[in-house]
Parts: sequence; C-alpha cells; structure tokens
Amino acid sequence: MKVWLLLAVCLAACAVAPFIGPGFAPGTADFVFWQLRVPRTLMAMLVGGTLSLVGAVYQSLFANPLAAPSTVGTTAGATLGALVAIILGARLAPGGLPLITAAAFVGALGVSLVVAAIAAGRRVRMNDVVLAGIACSMAAGAISTGLQFTADSAELMAAMRWSLGHLPQVGYSGVLLLTPFAAVTVVGLLALTRALEVFIAGEEHAESQGVPVRRVRTVAIGLGALGVAACVAWCGPIAFVELIVPHLVRRTLGVSRRVLLPGSVVVGAAFLALCDASARVILPGRELPVGVVTAALGAPLLVSLVARARS
Amino acid sequence: MTAGLTLDAVTVRARGRTLLDSVSLHVAPGEFVAIVGPNGAGKSTLLRVALGLLRPDSGHAFVDGQDVSSLVPRERAARLAWLPQRLEAAEPITALEQVVSARYRFPESRRASETAAHKALAEAGAGSFALRPITELSGGERQRVAVAGLLAQETPLVLLDEPANFLDPAQQLELYMRMGHLWRAGRGILCVTHDVNVLTHAHAPGTRAPRVVGLFQGRVAFERAHDAPELGEHLGELFGVRMHATAVDGHRVFVSLPRSGGAA
Repeated sequence: MKVWLLLAVCLAACAVAPFIGPGFAPGTADFVFWQLRVPRTLMAMLVGGTLSLVGAVYQSLFANPLAAPSTVGTTAGATLGALVAIILGARLAPGGLPLITAAAFVGALGVSLVVAAIAAGRRVRMNDVVLAGIACSMAAGAISTGLQFTADSAELMAAMRWSLGHLPQVGYSGVLLLTPFAAVTVVGLLALTRALEVFIAGEEHAESQGVPVRRVRTVAIGLGALGVAACVAWCGPIAFVELIVPHLVRRTLGVSRRVLLPGSVVVGAAFLALCDASARVILPGRELPVGVVTAALGAPLLVSLVARARS
Repeated sequence: MTAGLTLDAVTVRARGRTLLDSVSLHVAPGEFVAIVGPNGAGKSTLLRVALGLLRPDSGHAFVDGQDVSSLVPRERAARLAWLPQRLEAAEPITALEQVVSARYRFPESRRASETAAHKALAEAGAGSFALRPITELSGGERQRVAVAGLLAQETPLVLLDEPANFLDPAQQLELYMRMGHLWRAGRGILCVTHDVNVLTHAHAPGTRAPRVVGLFQGRVAFERAHDAPELGEHLGELFGVRMHATAVDGHRVFVSLPRSGGAA
C-alpha cells in the first residue's frame, strides 16, 4: 500500500517537473518545453535513479551507512579527469563528445576500477576496500590539487563551476548517450538484490551461505562505477543524492533490500527531477547548480526523518 | 570418495606464528565431533579452514572427497552450514528475511524460500517472532533465528562456532539439546567450544557419545569419546587445571579444580 502510494507520488513528481519554471514566452513555448525541459527532466531522472541505487548498493555492500560512490574514488577520479580536460582546453574529444565529459568518465572509471580490482583480492575484507578507496581518492585529489596549482584563474573558475554539479542543457543526445549506461547499471545491480540480502549478516556468513562474495563485490563496484562515471561525466558531482535518497527510502519503506533497491531508483529519479525544477525557480532569472538544491532540500528532510524516528 | 568432512594435515601460519600444525580430522555423516581447547588453541582457525574461508598454507580440507577451496560457494553451502557465535545484525531486517537468506543456495522462487523459512523458524521455536526485526530480539531469540537459518540451509554437515557463548544456561541447554537431535537425526556435526559441559546437553543418556578432540597450540593433543573414563584427566592437562568428572542423573559433568589439589 505504502509502496504504491510512494510510486504514484514519484511518478506524479516526474510528470510535473517539466512544467515548473519561469513562464514561457508565447513564441518559444513549444521549443522550451519539448527541447529543453523534457530532456532535462529525463536526464535528471536517469542520473537521480542511478546515483541513488548505486548509493544504496554500496551502503549494503560495505555494511556502512555512509558509503557512497565517492568511497570507491569515483568522484575524485571524475574531478581529476575534468580538470585535465579543462587545462588541456580542447573542446571536443574524438567522436564529438565534449572533452570534459569524456575525460571525467575515464577518470571516474579508472580510479574506481583500481578499487574494484583490489576488492577482488582473496584475503581482502570490506574495510580494506574502503581504505583503498579513500587512498585512491586522496591520490587523485593530490594530483588534482597539483594541476590546480598550475592552472590560471579562468581554468580554476571553470573547474570550480564543474565541481558544483549541474544538469547540462544537452537535449536528447545526452539522454540517449546516458541511457545505456544507466540501464546496464540499474538492471545489473538490481539482479544482485538476492546476494546483497545475504550480505546483511556479514561477508563471511554470506560466503558460508553460498554467495560468491568476491565476485559480487567486484561486479557491484564495477557496475556502480560505470553508471556513476557516466552520470558524473555529464553532470559533475551532484552532492548527497546517493546518500540522502537511500536513507529516505530506508526510513519510510524499510530496510528490506527488495524494497530499498528499487525504491531508491524511483525516489532518486523523482527527487532529482524535482530538485532540478526547483533550481529553475529559486533565484529569479538565474539557475542554481542542482547540487546546491539537492543538499539544501535533502539535508533538512533527512534530519527531520532522523529526529522523528528518535522521538 | 570419503563422505563427510576431512582435514588432511592442515597447517596455517600467520605472521610467523603457526596457528594450526598438521591437523588431521574426520567427521563422518552422523558423527558429532567436538573440538575443545583453551582460547587461542586454533579452534576458530580450524573452523574457517573447514568452511573454505581460509586457505591453509599446506594440507587440505575435503568435503565428500572434494577440496573445499575448489568448490564454488553454492556447492559448498549445499554441504556445510555454519552457526556463528552470534548472528550479526547490521540492519533491522525481519527474522524471516534473515532465514530466507539461508536459502540462497536453492534455485527457487521467493515464495518457496519463505515457506521453507517459516517451517525452519517454527522448528527452531522462533515462529512467534518471525516478522520482528532481528535487532530487537534478545540474544537467545537471535540465536534461535540463526538455528532456523541452519535448518533452512538443509546441509548434511553442520559447523558450530561456540554458538552458546552469549546465552544463559537455559538457552545453552536448549540449543545443544537441539543440536543433539540434529545429530541423532543423521547430520554430521563439528562443534568448537572451550566449555566441555555444553556437550552434556547434546549427549542424551543411553545413546552413543560425541567424540572429543583436544586442541592445544594448533596441534591435536588427544581424541577420546565423551564417556571415556580418562577424558577428565586429558581435559585437565589441556586447560592446565584439575578436571574432575562426575555424573548427575546419568549426565556427565566436568568440574575444574585448582591444580594444587585439596579443597581451598
């Protein structure tokens, strides 16, 4: 019952999102709605759903409520890649993609796959993977800082803007490019639900009950990295979505993995679509980076849920 | 092919220390083998090797004649189930979900898993709290859920890792009596404990006795039946105390006394 209600609310939110924003000028209404708002909302849904699911999966996998794609170095890798692209200054990568997008994707995937490879080790425990992720993040961060040191102020400004997290105005081409990555990640991770349920009682216990622990965590980190890298490449690091949405779902629908994982996809999609819509109206005439809105909306929501659960 | 669990000259070293030194052991189907020894004797290491969680530096662990480390996890989980000291509960999932996860090895529908889990919960005396979050259960209730998981996994061999360590006497009694029933119903049991008296609960008077293997500093010190007259002496030596065996209502009980002798 509760599940269907939430699903309906989320679908309604996604449907309403493109209508939110400054009023249309008469001549351009069709263009603004169909060529800007709708693809933008679709993009928000893809990114929000993917990021939230990966967050929920990582939290289950690491048995750590604070785990996020940044835990395995995805965000730091993307930032490094984007920075390299900004400093190189080229506009387009081979194949017509914006260079910054391609470089961020490569950086994010590169760093996370190093961590996924470490997670495949035989004697490696989950805490070691977290530590490896932090170490790789710091290494990527150190290189980024070094690059920033050599950059001029225009490049620094561009890098800073990128790191705020924003949904790009890319029309349907961006949506089409992102869809296969998001689909592979979402379908692949949801297929791991059963194994992740067994993980709740600890890795060794899961292994004794027949879960191929090393394979599951390598596949989960790899798939998660793929999806997040694709999202971050387009949008920059959008703060907190992957942390807040799974916790919202956890506190409203429960912790059962069969509800939490698909619930995170749906709620994440709606959440980011709404945040993006709000970003259009909060400052008149200007658009806030969506990363600012997710943090500003999500944080109080989460705090109020935690407070309510305590009382 | 040798049925059951076999450890063949298993040696495990870690950081220059030898945790297990050429330990050989066999648990046939329908046999109850207890590994007793002081803390640090290598009991848990032995169990982890048997489960395939730890690869020995030399020697092998075999289940039904196949090397445990060559089995895929699902095949291993079809033969061996593990009852840990305490069921970890990172999140408030229900007891039912916890037991359903023990059905992972079966290629079956969710509905079939839930039916089997309900049955196992009822059998373990946990049916009344099947839908409560495990984080809200008492230690004893949680261990019943863990036992239900063990039953739901339906394996011929069961490994117990001091499962009554955190339980009060009544629950210890109940848990080991249940393990005794499982044993007499035909399962092979390998039980690790430092408390030899819990075996009394598993050993119904008038039935065959469990086999007791003493482990000391990674080596097998002795191997005796639970009702062997000289067992008390061996246990005393193992733990560095004087161990007096006595019988209460046909149950064998061991009492530890200071080595110097005489009543204090």
